[in-house]
Amino acid sequence: MAGSRIKAPTPYQRPTTGYDWSDYDPGEFYDEIISSPGNGRAAARGLVAYIRKMSAKRLISRQQAADLAIKEMGISFTVYSDGENIDRAWPMDIIPRIIALREWKGLEAGLIQRLTALNMFIDDIYNKQQILKDGVVPKELILSSPDFLEACMGAKPPHRVWSHICGSDLVRDGDGTMYVLEDNLRVPSGVSYMLENRAISKRILPQLFENSAIQPVDDYPSQLFEMLASLSPRKSDSPEIVVMTPGVFNSAYFEHAYLAQRMGAELVEGPDLVVDKHDKVHMRTIRGLEQVDVIYRRVNDDFLDPEVFNPDSMLGTAGLFRAWRKGNVGLANAPGSGVADDKIIYTYVPAIIKYYLDQDPLIPNVPSYLCVNKQHQQHVLANLENMVVKPANESGGYGMLIGPASTKKERQEFTALIKKNPRNYMAQPALALSTAPTLCGNSLQPRHLDLRPFVLQGKNHYVTAGGLTRVALRKGSLVVNSSQGGGSKDTWILDTEAN
Amino acid sequence: MLSRVAERLYWLARYLERAEDTARLILVWHQSSLDMPRKAQPGWDRLLEVLGAQSTFAQTPGVANEKNIVSFAFSERGNPSSIISALTAARENMRTTREIMPSETWVQVNSLYLSVARRSNKPLAKGSRHAVLNGVINTCQQISGNLSGTMNHDAAYQFVRMGSALERADMTTRIIDVASADLTSMSDEGLPYQNMLWISVLRSLSAYQSYRLGVRARVNPPDVVEFLLASNEFPRALGYCLREVESSMKLLPRSGRALKLLRSVLAELDATDCSELAGDDLHQFIDDMQLHLQAIGGIITETWLSPDQ
Repeated sequence: MAGSRIKAPTPYQRPTTGYDWSDYDPGEFYDEIISSPGNGRAAARGLVAYIRKMSAKRLISRQQAADLAIKEMGISFTVYSDGENIDRAWPMDIIPRIIALREWKGLEAGLIQRLTALNMFIDDIYNKQQILKDGVVPKELILSSPDFLEACMGAKPPHRVWSHICGSDLVRDGDGTMYVLEDNLRVPSGVSYMLENRAISKRILPQLFENSAIQPVDDYPSQLFEMLASLSPRKSDSPEIVVMTPGVFNSAYFEHAYLAQRMGAELVEGPDLVVDKHDKVHMRTIRGLEQVDVIYRRVNDDFLDPEVFNPDSMLGTAGLFRAWRKGNVGLANAPGSGVADDKIIYTYVPAIIKYYLDQDPLIPNVPSYLCVNKQHQQHVLANLENMVVKPANESGGYGMLIGPASTKKERQEFTALIKKNPRNYMAQPALALSTAPTLCGNSLQPRHLDLRPFVLQGKNHYVTAGGLTRVALRKGSLVVNSSQGGGSKDTWILDTEAN
Repeated sequence: MLSRVAERLYWLARYLERAEDTARLILVWHQSSLDMPRKAQPGWDRLLEVLGAQSTFAQTPGVANEKNIVSFAFSERGNPSSIISALTAARENMRTTREIMPSETWVQVNSLYLSVARRSNKPLAKGSRHAVLNGVINTCQQISGNLSGTMNHDAAYQFVRMGSALERADMTTRIIDVASADLTSMSDEGLPYQNMLWISVLRSLSAYQSYRLGVRARVNPPDVVEFLLASNEFPRALGYCLREVESSMKLLPRSGRALKLLRSVLAELDATDCSELAGDDLHQFIDDMQLHLQAIGGIITETWLSPDQ
């Protein structure tokens, strides 16, 4: 039976209908990934080409794989709603945000410059107050601030550093300039999500990691540990470091547990600690009392020590402040650091940098108007539709007015609020925040984002390679907070000159 | 290891064991009510006695009938010894120690809690009782298996072990106490069913087979009492549970005082011929043992869980 041949099957061909970027249009906004329609920025060309080869269906299935991994790994955050705590899966968009290493180096230097000056400022405020005497920052502004803690006067923490862990929010405007939007010098959160986002994207997009020089972020927990160890009053090789959490009901509990685990530190709550009559701090363990050297506290100042602050606090430990004042325990961040991240003080940061370091700021501030200043106030009230108004002491995006998205009624309410308590408000022109392609439904859409890098200062400095990129998932929205429907992206600092 | 964490693990284990034991009890009462003539049945109110919950039940509006008592033991949140209350407490203890527990056990505890909570607003119908209660028992067993099979057997695990063992010992002694009181008060008509009652007792502790294997005698009260109190082989027997606690304590720091107390209780148990105990003597002995168990729980708390330092 010669000659009868079975017909060879047609080889399977992957459909070539990839994502061609033609309908992706960021409009007037600066896009982090695309420089002109269909063309990637230098650092993002690999990503753009990679996505061009993928069908929407495959993109979506990658996103689903990421969502599933997040659920399985139990990456969650807690939101308060109707008096109940709900654990929600962390929302992460798989398309990374990319910054070229060369640009990042400049930002890194700017962040270190900023934190160095802010720490010199806090130390000055609680000691000589030279900057107030020299009239660079108005004295009454500090003394009237609820974040100025009289009890800290005269304290001299190790290395004269107060804010050891800082999360500064960076935003990019329409012309591509990066600005510092605000500094978080108290208990900034989000770093665990930065680390988990990276773990997920390595799982989901391994090919891209193989072919490009993406700066790693995984050493953060050990850098944090080293920094905390540099605050230890006992010079030993293995200082006892603990992470102090308000408890499981706190919205960032996941992060507290995560960091403790990664550093190999105990996760303690206020009642686990006890201060003895020699003003030393111990934790209660099954072996008895064990002395604690450094506390990475994620409890706000108010609740830290009922002896000094809120006497009703059940979250703190009586005597902690005393022990810290005596230098018997390191506290990160030091109490009172909040005096420098007040949104009003923010407007003085360029002057503060100049004053202590005699340098110009490497990263500019967003132009800001203090409502306490009559002229500024008039300008703000006259241009409310184009302004973002922020209360001085709220975080998490609460109590803000976003002018372009506001109703007339909201603007009227804010006009009254500002007039009633001008010290409490500052305003900034609404920036044209940059965008990046984000998977929405089954297509990529431009969505606005910001960036929170984390900066450490103890004996040395350290800046995370990138940080946590937060993205507003609703079309046109500028609110990136996860408690208000924001999502996140992995952030790649990419060395384009390495290959 | 932090005392607070140790405390939560210890109570997590106690509450899980309590949920399992309570499910066992309801199931056995349910089954023996199907087997025996009405006159010889152990009354449902005796179940309240085993659970030590008569006065709590008296505060609920319902009369002491089968339906109300089963609901009370299964899903009444006002009853601290109900299955739902035990699971609520177990879940809360686990939720706050998640970072050191194997992650799948959290999922198991959470879904067990949710499945019981879903059923808690209607009575547990006779038709589904067996499946539901068995589900609780099996899941609890799975969780203990998971803990023992995947957790480091470090100090943390010793607190889990001690919690389970003490709770078990407590439940075993309660069951013997009520059963023996029942028998002494049994009418003549009930006597032929005496054996069946002891078989139910054994069954409630999953001990029937082990008894047959270990004792190799027919079911008779002295042997059952001896087996359930003194056996060093059956894992729900008082003696076994106490030795379990002892072996955990030996692995913990600062265990001197606690071990001393435990060994004195074991010595007392060993010196007693449990097969001789009946009636008031048995009741008295069990009362003593219950007090000892409380004292052991107390010294564990004092030494490791919330040391008054």
